[in-house]
Amino acid sequence: MAQDGPQSQTIAVIGGGIAGVTAALEAAETGYDVILIEKEPALGGRVTRLNRYFPKFCHPTCGLEINYQRLRKNPRVKVLTMHEVTAVEGEKGAYVITARRLPRFVNEKCTACGECGKVCETEIDDPYNYGLGKVKAARLPHEHAFPMRYVIDAAVKGTDDEGRIAEACQYGAVDFSEEEEEVTLNAGAVIWATGWRPYDATRLETYHYADSPDIINNVEMERLANHDGPTGGKVVRPSDGEPAKKVALIQCAGSRDVNHLPYCSMICCLASLKHAAYVLEQYEDAEVHMYYIDIRAHDKMQTFYERIKVDPRIKFIKSKPAEIHPGADGRPVVKGERTIDRELYEESYDLVVLATGMEPSAKDISASGDVVKDEDGFVLAIESGDGGQVSCGVAAGPFDVALSTQSGTAAALKAIQAVGAR
Amino acid sequence: MTAAIPATSRTYDLSFARWVRENVKGGDKMNLCMQCGVCSGSCPIGSEMDNGPRKTFMMVRAGMKDEVLSSTTLWNCTSCYRCYVRCPRGIPVTSIIQGLAAVAAKEGYADKEKVSNYYFSKAFWWSARSFGKTDERLVTMKYFFSFGLVEGIKRALANLKIALGMVKAGRMHIGMPHSIRNKSQLKAIIAKAAELESKG
Repeated sequence: MAQDGPQSQTIAVIGGGIAGVTAALEAAETGYDVILIEKEPALGGRVTRLNRYFPKFCHPTCGLEINYQRLRKNPRVKVLTMHEVTAVEGEKGAYVITARRLPRFVNEKCTACGECGKVCETEIDDPYNYGLGKVKAARLPHEHAFPMRYVIDAAVKGTDDEGRIAEACQYGAVDFSEEEEEVTLNAGAVIWATGWRPYDATRLETYHYADSPDIINNVEMERLANHDGPTGGKVVRPSDGEPAKKVALIQCAGSRDVNHLPYCSMICCLASLKHAAYVLEQYEDAEVHMYYIDIRAHDKMQTFYERIKVDPRIKFIKSKPAEIHPGADGRPVVKGERTIDRELYEESYDLVVLATGMEPSAKDISASGDVVKDEDGFVLAIESGDGGQVSCGVAAGPFDVALSTQSGTAAALKAIQAVGAR
Repeated sequence: MTAAIPATSRTYDLSFARWVRENVKGGDKMNLCMQCGVCSGSCPIGSEMDNGPRKTFMMVRAGMKDEVLSSTTLWNCTSCYRCYVRCPRGIPVTSIIQGLAAVAAKEGYADKEKVSNYYFSKAFWWSARSFGKTDERLVTMKYFFSFGLVEGIKRALANLKIALGMVKAGRMHIGMPHSIRNKSQLKAIIAKAAELESKG
């Protein structure tokens, strides 16, 4: 097939979340070389930040750990962390991927002994916890990190910490000479597994997310409930640490809205039902109100919805709230119209969780060739294209974890067909 | 809005939604409504409305023509456009409510017992048309006396204290009505607008 010169058979996977890791492993286990490119210091993406999965409440760490085991055993997958892809150009067999390599200041000699973290005094907003807590600038990204290697934030540069950290490392793993640089990578096929980010809740002006620490979004709720989150797993009010017993869950916060994300993200209703379960599990006298337009618990998820629904402590209110703001006593107030009986309501809560939707991260990456981005930023393969680029996970559409892994496997199959049998 | 409204003898006029769609400005967008309630919840005077926009839309769909056209919702709207701006489906809610009010007035649904704002709108328009400005005293008086002589006197007396307070605070003037210069130009503008409207 290599009539026009050397044709690469390497498959590049952009994004090391659950879809990307799955696609990379599936392709590598059939015998192809894979480059897995991740912009964060560790793999796992959004999934590693979740507390539990719906509908079975199992731990995401379980599935990730199995995948990391597979990665460790497979020399065909080359994992590149802290590489932020900016553009993909070229055609099947000869793609050029441009990425910004961000400085980690820690090389592969790191043993994760933790001495650098002990001497580091600089603290930064913890990106793993969506900024909900502080963390040392020299840190392990999180306890389950793959690769198990420290990362140092550029905030220490020029401070006393810089010398202290370099001195603390006994393995010569700290390297402050690293600088951001542009790198190019070559591949024969490209799998877009770029995933998503939560829609920016500050843009929902009437919901005053920025004006109260007790108005949070759904991904932050996962961190609050997680044992390695900022509160050690207690669902409390971020403002004063008091138990969050009366909680409002707001569906379609910016979703199905032409002013924000026009589509339904499919997972939010189910994630919110899960959040209800977190609160109900922690407090005997909890009171959870779920505000919704309609509950979208697709096929088998209906059973999950019905299971949560029977608890008398959860109430479903059919209404998209018109306004949410901090009240006179500081507690967030939710206002709107109940659409079943047309009553106007105004109710205070300990905690309000905005179920913000998934915005595709691929919006930031320039695509060309046989993929296009639709008007919402999702990446779609062109039917008539050469098949060298495919997408999976939330890069392709708003999927839950199960569909993301399925689509990851499907993408791996398409990619190995594209680079051809050997 | 040129087509005649379909006549109906039943409570539920199933052709009403289609008629609204075809004849009311913005009515073609009404079928996008997903009944989320943001419009009614956002309305600053939602508590003064019997139905609010969301329920009104559902009633149009259900063919409840009489109830929709005699509702206070159409007349209590202040045109702040909050519902329109916030609607997640981009439905021109305000325009539809105003359009339905115009139909209600034309069709004789504006019942003064229920929709007194209709008379306020008329008084306001009378002042704007006559003087090019609104005169707070005359608009109020004209509005009060649209309910009859006795009711007019009753309302005027009931509001006397407020009126005197406003005079004292300089918020209401005594003397000749405020008026613009060149009223003939205003009349020409209004005549032209009426001509354009009659042409559709």
